[in-house]
Amino acid sequence: MTFPEKIRGSALLLLLVALPAGAFDFNRLDLNKIGGLMGKAKDVQEVDEKGEIQIGQGVAANLLGAAPLVADERMQKYVNQTGRWLALHTERPDLDWHFGVLDSPNINAFATPGGYIFITRGLLLKLHNEAELAGVLAHEIAHVLRRHHLNAIQKSARVGLVADVLSIATQNKQHSEALDKVINAGTELYARGLDKDDEFEADRMGVVIAARAGYDPYALPAVLQTLDAMNPQDSGLALMFKTHPAPASRLELLDKAMQSSLDPYAGQPTLAARFVKFAGPAMKP
Amino acid sequence: MKSRVTICLYLLALMLSSAAAAESAITVRATELKKEPYADAETVATLPDQARVEILRRQGGWTQIKAQSATQGWVRMLSLRLGDGTARKGDSGIGSLLNVARSGSSGTTVATGVRGLTEEDLRNARPNPEELRKMERLAATPRDARKFAVSANLGSHQVGYLPAPAGSAPASSGNKSPWGDGL
Repeated sequence: MTFPEKIRGSALLLLLVALPAGAFDFNRLDLNKIGGLMGKAKDVQEVDEKGEIQIGQGVAANLLGAAPLVADERMQKYVNQTGRWLALHTERPDLDWHFGVLDSPNINAFATPGGYIFITRGLLLKLHNEAELAGVLAHEIAHVLRRHHLNAIQKSARVGLVADVLSIATQNKQHSEALDKVINAGTELYARGLDKDDEFEADRMGVVIAARAGYDPYALPAVLQTLDAMNPQDSGLALMFKTHPAPASRLELLDKAMQSSLDPYAGQPTLAARFVKFAGPAMKP
Repeated sequence: MKSRVTICLYLLALMLSSAAAAESAITVRATELKKEPYADAETVATLPDQARVEILRRQGGWTQIKAQSATQGWVRMLSLRLGDGTARKGDSGIGSLLNVARSGSSGTTVATGVRGLTEEDLRNARPNPEELRKMERLAATPRDARKFAVSANLGSHQVGYLPAPAGSAPASSGNKSPWGDGL
């Protein structure tokens, strides 16, 4: 594809993929036309965030259908405060971010478009302190910032799905058939996983977001080390290991990306006591 | 009663802070063993690749270890791979201290027959709008979050995103963060 690298906004992508199939030839697109599309892209982008949130709410409701929230509001609020504090240090501080601990022994974490972030009780049990929680949440926040799931849904090979996403963006109906289709395809994505590079990118962004918010950035690698040392036969890990690159390769790439650039922040707090105070009680069997 | 709970939690936190104790690890490359957790600290020894060590504690990007020669010191945290290659692994975290989900006498945490978030569960999931409303009700406002941060002395810093390391996939180009150039 010789299409200029710069023009990669998802709004434009939406417009381009909405063109009739016959017109789908990047080499033949004339530049004036693209300029015109770019001008309009702004409007679509705005509606797009609403659509993104609608899709996210639908996927979040499905995830909550698979596993409800842990019934401890104090802990849920604690996780929300941690997450919201992190999100304030990103390029989408004004999004209505939501965080929840799912009552499942599976070890995993999820992000839906529009800022619905989940961590399972199983993963929470493996953490040692608030900085590790922050590292996991920051990784998930990064998926939302980069619209990884939304882009994957759009790239999905399903015939008509892209058009459905577009109709959500433009019609903005409360609950259309198209929205349901996209939500279901979106939920299935969590069983398949994202592109490996999206995961590596979320790791690289996660350590930075944690450092910005005052946490020890090495806490996310510490979580990956914990996961790396676990028995891979543990059925609680099956889905995470299927949908993510191996913790060892994530560590290797994080190491290369971080080198010593975040060391000035390595002495930042990990807050083990506060983590135990709020997360501990709900973790008892 | 309340104070007893507080003391228990305090003890638990203390244990957690040293939870890595008695865990073993293997070096993933030849690594300098430093006297202090700093790059310019005195090098007390050089460990070969694949050296087995015992983990004492982690501090930022450094892990304090005891080498087989009984020499103690600090190595770069990411030069280590946790576990020593034997079956007993993954026994750490708040869960292990609370004795959750242990099976058998090995101390190895193995969740069997996990339900709720398997691949199949996700494919068959039906929406739960009630839980979604609950989740939305529990959200924190930016004001809550700031108060929460201040109470633990969490600072804010301007840190630019890291580029992807050379040789791997391209970085998130075309999406320059406003954070890279300052707040």
